[in-house]
Amino acid sequence: MALFPVQGIFEGDFVVLLVPVDTDDPMTVVAEKIAHHVVGRRVAAQDRPMRIRRQGEFVADEVTVAEANLAPLDVLEVVYA
Amino acid sequence: MPSLARSEWYDLTRDMNWTLSYVDQEEAWPQDLSNTYGIPAEKWWGWDEPYKVTYSEYVHNQVGKDAGVYSVNSVIGRSRMFDELDPGWKSAIVAHYGAIAVPEYIAGLGESRMGRFGRAAAWRNMATFGCLDETRHGQIQTYFPYTLLNKEPRMDWAHKALHTNEWGAIAARHLFDDMFTANDAVSTAIQLTFTFETGFTNLQFLGMAADAMNVGDLDFGALISSIQTDEARHSQQGEPTIKILVENGQKEVAQHLVDHMFWRSWHVFALLTGISMDYYTPLEHRTHSFKEFMNEWINKQFIDQFRDFGLERPWYWNEQFLGELEWYHHALHLGIWTWRPTVWWNPDAGMSGAEREWLEEKYPGWNDSFGKYWDVITANVRAGKPELTLPETFPMVCNMCQIPVVSPAGYAAGFLKSPAPLLLDLEGRRYTFCSEPCKWIFEQSSARFKGHLGIIDRFLGGLIQPPDLGGALAYMGLSPEECGQDATNYAWARENGKA
Repeated sequence: MALFPVQGIFEGDFVVLLVPVDTDDPMTVVAEKIAHHVVGRRVAAQDRPMRIRRQGEFVADEVTVAEANLAPLDVLEVVYA
Repeated sequence: MPSLARSEWYDLTRDMNWTLSYVDQEEAWPQDLSNTYGIPAEKWWGWDEPYKVTYSEYVHNQVGKDAGVYSVNSVIGRSRMFDELDPGWKSAIVAHYGAIAVPEYIAGLGESRMGRFGRAAAWRNMATFGCLDETRHGQIQTYFPYTLLNKEPRMDWAHKALHTNEWGAIAARHLFDDMFTANDAVSTAIQLTFTFETGFTNLQFLGMAADAMNVGDLDFGALISSIQTDEARHSQQGEPTIKILVENGQKEVAQHLVDHMFWRSWHVFALLTGISMDYYTPLEHRTHSFKEFMNEWINKQFIDQFRDFGLERPWYWNEQFLGELEWYHHALHLGIWTWRPTVWWNPDAGMSGAEREWLEEKYPGWNDSFGKYWDVITANVRAGKPELTLPETFPMVCNMCQIPVVSPAGYAAGFLKSPAPLLLDLEGRRYTFCSEPCKWIFEQSSARFKGHLGIIDRFLGGLIQPPDLGGALAYMGLSPEECGQDATNYAWARENGKA
């Protein structure tokens, strides 16, 4: 369990964000942590599940940051499924 | 007074080049301070400035300029003229002084380096005047805001900004160190005087002076006009330097130096001038959009100039530059307004209905690509939740231009193939770039840039404590009273009784 910085992009937003996540966070939580800075602030909320995409490939929801072998400051995109 | 006409003695007195005998060329003009790019010394002696002035003429002219502009300042200082200016315009002025005043003074270093290490006596003569010019610009642009301190305390950022670690100040230092503080004389002539001054600031100052007069800011208008007359002269050091390079088979060197600094100038120009023109200038006084200004003055006039020398448009012109012209400064405006506590001025949202209509007219599609963000923001303000418009984390910042990475906006607006930033892993460190040209500039001279720590690198490296937004604001030198707020206290969201 340790803080881990990622570059977060929420689908439709305008900026790349520095988002601290935890190495134990599954991708569902990572998506929520990125969305917190965007949804309802600049991008209207949608009642749809969110998924994490890394280099064009979806990462399974239950996979944690540690299990996904991310490097610090990897770029993660949050998209609606 | 001399009894001869200037033309009869000028060339003789300003052009005393000679062959060295006590020291060699490298000792007198080290490559690090004056890169010859392999061109022999005698070839440089053909350097000929297009605008000629003698020292006595220079001093006579400058005294007249200073007398005129300081008189205007003295008179206006006793009036209520500043109090009655539009809040957005005031923000543009406070931002301008902080970003420009001290860099003008530092530009004197670049000029004095050319004054000592320029490769021809005529050039060194002209650069000496340039050094005096920049010293004057530093002084006048710290003095004028000083006289406004009783009306706007943040005018002290004219002197303070560049001495802080505020993110915009870091960006300005990085740019200007690259352009002149840590540049050799030959490259400075092309990158500072030709690319930045001839290409951007000389024309920008003309536009700003006209805008200032339109909005009734006679003080700033007189100041900028006065500075511009100096810029128009000393910016001409680039032309003859490029000619020497091109005539001696070094066109590629000139092209590379221009390509490098045109992009960097564009980004800082979009940040300061783009936002000021399209969002901070009162709507009734906008004579053109930023894009129209760029197309007319930069893209046409400046490009014609460097094509005259046989140079081409930079390699990124069509795909990256013209694309960014449509969206980049809109994204920066949204970012600066969102992270407004991190700047020393009050960002003006500029989001009244009439202003949004103007943006849509000037940038067809603006409502779909950018208005949608402001719709959500406006709804939050109207719902009494302004806290939702404020940030809780940081944007990533480009390791080249040091400006927040807004590539997702370019993607969302249909101008980029991906929203993702560009990454480079080098010697165990990860670098992030906002655009291909920024990454290209870094990779061309990675040894020059790789050691720099951007604001996010400092945050992640533990230099900012406590590691949160409050700690960052303190690190940036911003007390709560100095942090930017919405310039009109959200009046744009309440218009037409919709609040």
